[in-house]
Amino acid sequence: MSTFDIEFAAVTDIGKIREKNEDNVLISSDLGLGVVADGMGGHSAGEIASSIAVSVLAETIRKINTETLKIPETFLPKLAPTERKLLMAANLANAAIYSTAQSSEIYKMMGTTLTGVLFDKDCAIAVHVGDSRLYLLRDGKIIQITTDHSLAMEHVRRGLLSKADADKSKIQNVLTRAMGIKKNIEFDLLKFPIKEGDVMVLCSDGLYKGLTEEAIAELLTQDKDFPIVKTCKHLVRQSNEKDGQDNISAVLIKILPAQKLTFGQRMRRFFRRNK
Amino acid sequence: MLDGQSLVGKEISGCEILTKVAEGGMGAVFKARHKALNRIVCVKILSPSLANDKKAVSLFLTEARAIAELDHPNIVNVYNVGKEQGYYFIVMSFVEGQTLSAMLKKERVLPIGRVLDLFDGVLKGLSVAHEKGIIHRDIKPSNILITPEGSPKIVDFGIAKKVDKEKGSTKTTELAGTAYFIAPEQALGKDIDTRADLYSIGASMYYVLTGHFPYNGKNTIEIIQKHINEPVPNPAKLRSDLPGWLGLTIQKLMSKNPDDRFSTAKEVYMHFAKMRAEEQLRVKNMHGRATVDLGVESALKISNEQALSTTSKNLPASEAYRAALAKQTQPGRSKQVTQMPKLDDLAAAVAEVPPKSAPPLAPTMELVPEKNLQQTTVPAPTATVSAIREPKPIAKIIAKLLILLPVFLGFSALVGYVFFSLGQICSAYVSDSAGFFSNLLAPLMAGKTLPNQLFYSALALVMLAAIFASSAIKAFARTTAMLLALAFASYLAGVFTPEIKFFDASNMFNYLFSPEYYLCYLVPAAAWTVSLCWRLNRKLTERVLAMALIILSCTLAYCASSLTILPDLNALSTKILFAGAVLFALLAVYYISAKAERSIILPTICFLVALSCFWLYNISGLATRTQTTLNTLVSVIPMPDADAAQKESAQSQDDYLNISRPGIFKAIGSSKAINFLPEEKKDAMLTEYLDQYAGELLPQEQYPFFIHLLKTYYLYGPSKTSLKIWDYAASYPVENFNKNAQTNNAYFFLVMLLFTMAALNCVGGILFKEDDL
Repeated sequence: MSTFDIEFAAVTDIGKIREKNEDNVLISSDLGLGVVADGMGGHSAGEIASSIAVSVLAETIRKINTETLKIPETFLPKLAPTERKLLMAANLANAAIYSTAQSSEIYKMMGTTLTGVLFDKDCAIAVHVGDSRLYLLRDGKIIQITTDHSLAMEHVRRGLLSKADADKSKIQNVLTRAMGIKKNIEFDLLKFPIKEGDVMVLCSDGLYKGLTEEAIAELLTQDKDFPIVKTCKHLVRQSNEKDGQDNISAVLIKILPAQKLTFGQRMRRFFRRNK
Repeated sequence: MLDGQSLVGKEISGCEILTKVAEGGMGAVFKARHKALNRIVCVKILSPSLANDKKAVSLFLTEARAIAELDHPNIVNVYNVGKEQGYYFIVMSFVEGQTLSAMLKKERVLPIGRVLDLFDGVLKGLSVAHEKGIIHRDIKPSNILITPEGSPKIVDFGIAKKVDKEKGSTKTTELAGTAYFIAPEQALGKDIDTRADLYSIGASMYYVLTGHFPYNGKNTIEIIQKHINEPVPNPAKLRSDLPGWLGLTIQKLMSKNPDDRFSTAKEVYMHFAKMRAEEQLRVKNMHGRATVDLGVESALKISNEQALSTTSKNLPASEAYRAALAKQTQPGRSKQVTQMPKLDDLAAAVAEVPPKSAPPLAPTMELVPEKNLQQTTVPAPTATVSAIREPKPIAKIIAKLLILLPVFLGFSALVGYVFFSLGQICSAYVSDSAGFFSNLLAPLMAGKTLPNQLFYSALALVMLAAIFASSAIKAFARTTAMLLALAFASYLAGVFTPEIKFFDASNMFNYLFSPEYYLCYLVPAAAWTVSLCWRLNRKLTERVLAMALIILSCTLAYCASSLTILPDLNALSTKILFAGAVLFALLAVYYISAKAERSIILPTICFLVALSCFWLYNISGLATRTQTTLNTLVSVIPMPDADAAQKESAQSQDDYLNISRPGIFKAIGSSKAINFLPEEKKDAMLTEYLDQYAGELLPQEQYPFFIHLLKTYYLYGPSKTSLKIWDYAASYPVENFNKNAQTNNAYFFLVMLLFTMAALNCVGGILFKEDDL
């Protein structure tokens, strides 16, 4: 587990005009995991894809932790154990969605984005596919850690479109990568050191369509003394007021200094680890 | 739910659904029978997920009705639009026949006239749609149906796609339009107008005429971005019988900027008609009175000359096209270059670890202010995953050093000793008169073995195997080449300096700055330089190091080959050699320091040429002096011509021997008497002459060399002799090395140099991982 204390909060909202919520979120302080998935496509199965994504991801990580599931030795042996664990889980989730999508007419063409963070000691490892985002707020500055896998952003990366144009573009909803569309997909795996006071935001595109990066940063800084569940709700509410055309989901993660443990807690943790 | 099977047999809008024809993300297409009319129709049903959106539905209905109004032979007729049983549907005429792309696959090459006929129809249909403000959005060969009568019909007006686009927020992995034929503005998600369809017409014509897509790539994104960014390809390059005007028209249709295209579909088919009429007229004139129908391929396959004349006659038009093309491609691209995204900067503070090894992102300092640097491990700019991971514990490294390094040192010393002993044994075969390589090969040629020779040979083979086997150990992996060089040098030490004890370093320090030692330095320096030259993606430090090594090697080559005799400064060739040496050395330095990676061979070649030029420059003095001595000898020695009897005897001998090679040379060479003497008499005669004419000038030990040169001179003439002289001079420093090594231990110096370097390599192998370096 981590050398820091990590707080998680998650909120998802249907938005103003959608008839159902295709987003799914999951947080687990037990696993040190936060995930956002934004389902799409299918005749009405976007939410199924996203729920498979988050549940299979979490379940796989749990199984690997308890050693009921083993990562094959040949699976990306060069990566660190935690990285392998996360990628393995993401790959299994993709396979699960893909096979479900192939199994029936109803699920055909369904897919989902996935952005998740897993914590390991003093590092955060993110797995990412699609146009959900991971932001990191550190020392009052916000940066977007993930890069969107959308055609518009692909154009921006090659300098064919300016970022401002991309935000207005009609093709920003066209994804270049998503889970469940192909049997094997490429995930972005990102690893970065965390430090005390960091705040991370995982969000679906609904959130950032309503709130700019700066607005998110401002809100987070304003609310920094509130409980993060409150902040998280505040974020989603603000975005919904501004836009609300899509489902809105956010996972908020705060890195706190490790608390001093009592002797009993320490012993309990010790034994739990060795189980 | 839209289940293909559940709909079959049902009735929608008076049509009995028969079979499913196709299915896409937006809906499904069924073959159906219109009961009242008793006619086969086609029913398209919109996906229910889109049916929930009111705005989408109203757009769907409006546009479908608009198409229904279009009554044109080149557009598939729409009979009915509406909603029934919760399904939005369109009833269209069912077209028997095949798509243009299927036809192309079957027939491979379509005659140009036929293609023009087909697209004439397509453009006419499109023109009518455009007048109603309807954009197709997905013109491609597979959306053009060819009826059995051969007339084209446009299908699949992008109704569903338009709806989806307007909805905007629905995520999808499919782009409206097909990557191979998509207009740049459509691919960029800008507002499009009817001219986007014209681009797709151009791209489709390109494909149909040449059989190749205008742009190709690894994935959809790459193709799309080529549509946006790359210059328009010329279809005429792929099809030689393509008239020049047609190639240019397609290029104009495919202009990146819609303003550079034709403005309407009508303009395009009018242009086609005009150009074809002109061409027909021209063909008519060429072929006398015969009328030629352009619908037949043979008519356009005139001949290359005529095709050329076609283009040249249309020159003003083509110039205008070219200018238009140039205008729109050039600034467009430069603009795109300046719009660099800021995205990379933002994502920079993290080390990206994609499953495949992708280049690491450079971290920015923004994220981690200096004061916090100790607490957080921010990866170094060049570090990959390994750098972020926990560093190896120091104790482990020290333990490794303590165990592996002594093992390595012992092993390499043993290798050196075994090869040295083998060399010592083989030194018995060395003869002073033989050259360097023949001395090396002598033990193999001897045919007999000395005591212990077999044993040590076997031992040496075992050592060789052990050297290769040791490369399996990670810490020793990089020392293989060094160990092989060490073995070879030890062998040489044994062969040429058998009297010196193994690893005798007694008087080495006196000779550190002698030419022989420079030669020793040169060996590893040059090897290192070549290995650096021979590497892609050199880092800055490597470039600097390689530059320094090039300069060092050149200096060493100069020093090692410099003799007590000065270079022949009078001759022009020597000056050229020197200039060449400097020039090539500079070139090598330039190539190695140039940022753009041109070639890995170029700097290596320049470097080696520079070395050899320096070498030749320095030995030119020796060569010239030898040449002068020989010339003097030839001029002072009165060599009698062969008399008739000698010639005759040689002649008869040759007849008897069926003419040998020396015989021919004797016949054409200067027929001096000496050439007709037997070998031992030649030597005796020349020694006598040398004594007589150059006794005081020439040292006794140089007699054999000059006798050899004189014999060559009389038999083959001056050019062959001067070649021999240069050969001798060039290898003189190396031979000198052998001679002087007896006193200055140069071979062991080389061995020790290699030993040290191998040890350093080994330490490096233990301390650093492969990807750190």
